[in-house]
Amino acid sequence: MRMWSRVRSWLRAVMRWARMESEMDAELRFHIKAFAEDLVRGGVPHEEAMRRARIEFGGIEQAKEECREARGVNALALGIGVNTTVFTAFDALALRPRPVKDPDRLMGVYRTKEGGNRGALSYPDYVYYRDHSKTLSELAMWSGGMHVTTSDLSVVASEDALRVAGALGFRLPQLLQGGAQRLSCVFVSGNYFRLLGARPAAGRLFLPEDDQPGAPPVVVLSGNFWESQFHSNPDVVGSTIHLNRVAFTIVGVTTADYIGALSAVPVLWAPIAVRPLLGDGTRESLENRSVGAGIVYGHLKAGISMTDAEAELNVLAAQLRAAYPEVERNSGVRVVSERKFNQIDSEAWPIVAATMGAVALLLLIACANVASLLLARAAARRREIGVRLALGAGRRRLLQQLLIESTLTALLAGAVGLPLASWTLHLLVVEIASAIPSYWGAIALQVTPDIRIFGYTVLISLLTGVLFGLTPALQALRTDVNSALKDNGSVLGQQLSKSRLRDLLIVAQVAACLVLLINSALLLRGSQRALRVDPGFDSKHVVHLSLEMAEPSNGYSQARLFELNRQLMEEIASIPGVTSVTEASRAPISGGNRFVPVGIADAEPPAGKGGEDKRPTAGYSYILPNYFESLGVPIISGRSFTIQEAETEAPVVVISEATARRFWPDENPLGKRLVIGSANARPPFAGERVPFSPSSEVIGVVRDVRSLFLNKVDESYLYLPLSGSRYWTSTLLVRTSGSASSLLATLGSAVRRVDANLPVVLAPLEWMVSFNPYFLISRIGGILSSIVGVLGLFLACLGVYGMVGYSVMERTHEIGIRMALGARPPQVLGLVLRECARPMLLGTAIGIALSAAVSRLLSAILFGLNPMDAISFAGVSLLLIAVALFAGWLPSRRAMRVDPMVALRYE
Amino acid sequence: MDRQLELLQGTLGMLILKAVSLGPLHGYGVLLRIQQISKDRLEIQQGSLYPALYRLEHQGLITSEWGESENKRKAKYYRLTAAGKHKLQTEAEKWNRMADVIAGILGARPEEV
Repeated sequence: MRMWSRVRSWLRAVMRWARMESEMDAELRFHIKAFAEDLVRGGVPHEEAMRRARIEFGGIEQAKEECREARGVNALALGIGVNTTVFTAFDALALRPRPVKDPDRLMGVYRTKEGGNRGALSYPDYVYYRDHSKTLSELAMWSGGMHVTTSDLSVVASEDALRVAGALGFRLPQLLQGGAQRLSCVFVSGNYFRLLGARPAAGRLFLPEDDQPGAPPVVVLSGNFWESQFHSNPDVVGSTIHLNRVAFTIVGVTTADYIGALSAVPVLWAPIAVRPLLGDGTRESLENRSVGAGIVYGHLKAGISMTDAEAELNVLAAQLRAAYPEVERNSGVRVVSERKFNQIDSEAWPIVAATMGAVALLLLIACANVASLLLARAAARRREIGVRLALGAGRRRLLQQLLIESTLTALLAGAVGLPLASWTLHLLVVEIASAIPSYWGAIALQVTPDIRIFGYTVLISLLTGVLFGLTPALQALRTDVNSALKDNGSVLGQQLSKSRLRDLLIVAQVAACLVLLINSALLLRGSQRALRVDPGFDSKHVVHLSLEMAEPSNGYSQARLFELNRQLMEEIASIPGVTSVTEASRAPISGGNRFVPVGIADAEPPAGKGGEDKRPTAGYSYILPNYFESLGVPIISGRSFTIQEAETEAPVVVISEATARRFWPDENPLGKRLVIGSANARPPFAGERVPFSPSSEVIGVVRDVRSLFLNKVDESYLYLPLSGSRYWTSTLLVRTSGSASSLLATLGSAVRRVDANLPVVLAPLEWMVSFNPYFLISRIGGILSSIVGVLGLFLACLGVYGMVGYSVMERTHEIGIRMALGARPPQVLGLVLRECARPMLLGTAIGIALSAAVSRLLSAILFGLNPMDAISFAGVSLLLIAVALFAGWLPSRRAMRVDPMVALRYE
Repeated sequence: MDRQLELLQGTLGMLILKAVSLGPLHGYGVLLRIQQISKDRLEIQQGSLYPALYRLEHQGLITSEWGESENKRKAKYYRLTAAGKHKLQTEAEKWNRMADVIAGILGARPEEV
């Protein structure tokens, strides 16, 4: 309870700064008045009584300052808190070693092709390296993951998660609760847990025996799933769970938040050998040397360097090349340190960098703030310092004292900032992560503050304390003993350098704050635009329906699947309001982008070095003939496929306008021929087919759409005929005459009528937009930078408030003279405000210039919003000036109330 | 009048708690009451009173609300909270024990040692 009252008092002090200040004023004024009245009653004349009361009370400002400190008001705490928050997140992403055994010696092994990027090793290659390497102690593989379905569990949907998702602007697709639930499952080799030194929370983890073909299927639960679904009941170990209709024995549970060498917690872990059982690829795909199977990890043996290991593995690679010249051509091996999570996407890096930059700005604002407070306090203490100097105190001693004071302030701020940081992190990481559907797995960043974070906080506290305490301390020491003793602090000359420094601090605060706010406005407006962007197809009337199961197993035979698909399409087509149903290998803007090299048939392909394919690539999907009318994509010229062409997958193709312009800029593309793909292309995933056609006739041209990336129109896109009776795609698109979202419930019951156990995910195409990574980046980036920006604004306002307040206090004498000479209160107000407006405007100008530079970098994720968007720039700037002037106006009212007589007599 | 004693370090908080335990008071009233009870033998720096009040409020030992003073002026009144009451009790006990011990030590005569 006492803890709570402290937090409340602190919050009140921070949130209602102005009110607290005026209350404090009123309270002290009451004290002095009451005291004076008592003196008057004792026979002292009124004026004299007031004077005596003031003297008796002592330094009013000093008392106020001590009151403020007693309240724990500390802007620096906020700055340090936010800074620590982001450092922790950054640390968890980029600096902290993986939570595994011996992270320093953990290596990743990748396959390389001459001149190519690093890629995954194939399974047989992995086995060869594992069995022959003498430099790496043990080689384990992580072989990706998939979603599996089970009907054994009750579905738990969190209300909170939905609310948070809504607040962030996500629309989560609906999972039809036909009893089936999707779980994420990753595949690892039998020695994976042993290599990484994992301990089970219950039961046991995998052994190499579990990862043999024909071994009884076993699975390990994540601690998080065990807790949420089974309430950490140890009896779960040994029980059976059906995954894709195959019975698995639960042999154990990992500890909560255990991620191994992954970056997110999966729900289930399974041995690689069971993959074919779940329908993901076949036993043969594990024997194919040309299919990448996963990332291989190993520990360097003692005394072996990374280069030694790479050299040894390349000798093994040469043996493989000799044995399998066809598939292993040009391939080699690279060994990379896997000590840290270095797999932050290159796309996320600018965001991470921008966030760190933003937070550095915030710390700057907080520091400037504290510096101006210290400066003001030093000014108020000139008299004290003057007396000490006059009495012979050494300047070094005084400097020491002032520095110790500011350092202590900063350390105190750090102590408040640290819990603030972990609270904010909890809010940001844990709450936002909980909004993500469970089948995406859980994000488990190590965000609990530890000794490193603590050290970091102490360090920045000390740094800010010394750096920003030093200037005011030196300023105070430059005090001229004589004038200080007379305490005419406001006499012109001397004041100059001090107020210039103070102005500079305000300029820096306003500029930094403006950069943050303008860019957050740009990002938020950009992400808002993303929701309204015209993708070129009709996203409002189309529902995306996806069957979440692995083909062709899951207990369904190939034949049964085609039958199901036919039944589903018929059942859905009979729903009133549904105008057409179509099928495609992928729906626009829903991920799963696929590209294939294309060229003009019979033309000389562009020369590439070493037989490399230099043809341009195009996105593609396989579609049924009625795809274009279902999605509302106009056919510009030519026609769509006939049913006959689709069924036989004839060598015909429909291309986008941009594709036509690219290959035949001045000719009619109809009747021309394209060569699509190549005969020996490797599929991106085991079991997926890759288009190959040496000569396909262009039969139609359709309007350009945004189907690959939301932020730009597809540069090249091919539509290929889909044979509904030969291939099964799992993606249906349903067009309705009404709104798509109102159709979801009816669609759900239609699906259940066909098969109650089908796991189906439904979402209007419109919703898919919110899963687009560009949307996520700009939305989350915008939200984060506006949080940081508003904190910055708040701090900057405290700074302005403090500065104006102190300058009014210091100039009481001067103001008194002016008023005695006939200045009107509004003139005095103008005088004070003009003084603070100048640095504010300068700061705004600098802030706008900096923002313009930063916004250029953001233009890729602004969805066509002008990076110099007038509303964001002008609106935010005006808002900032208004708020800052208000912060200056509050204390300047005190200047108007100055009683000339009192002011002239004041101490 | 006797010479005024300077307040011992760390005792101001306890005295404030005691003063407001006798009934809600405004800041100036706290000062008056302490002086009145001590018969003006204790010197309290007026400037240090408010920081102490704010600290006690921050710690949740007293709460404040705005009310009207004897001569119809707005004033901030402080009252003791449950936590404050408890704190005052333990502090007073501690103080008395300490005073006993110290008095015992100072009152020791040579033959007792």
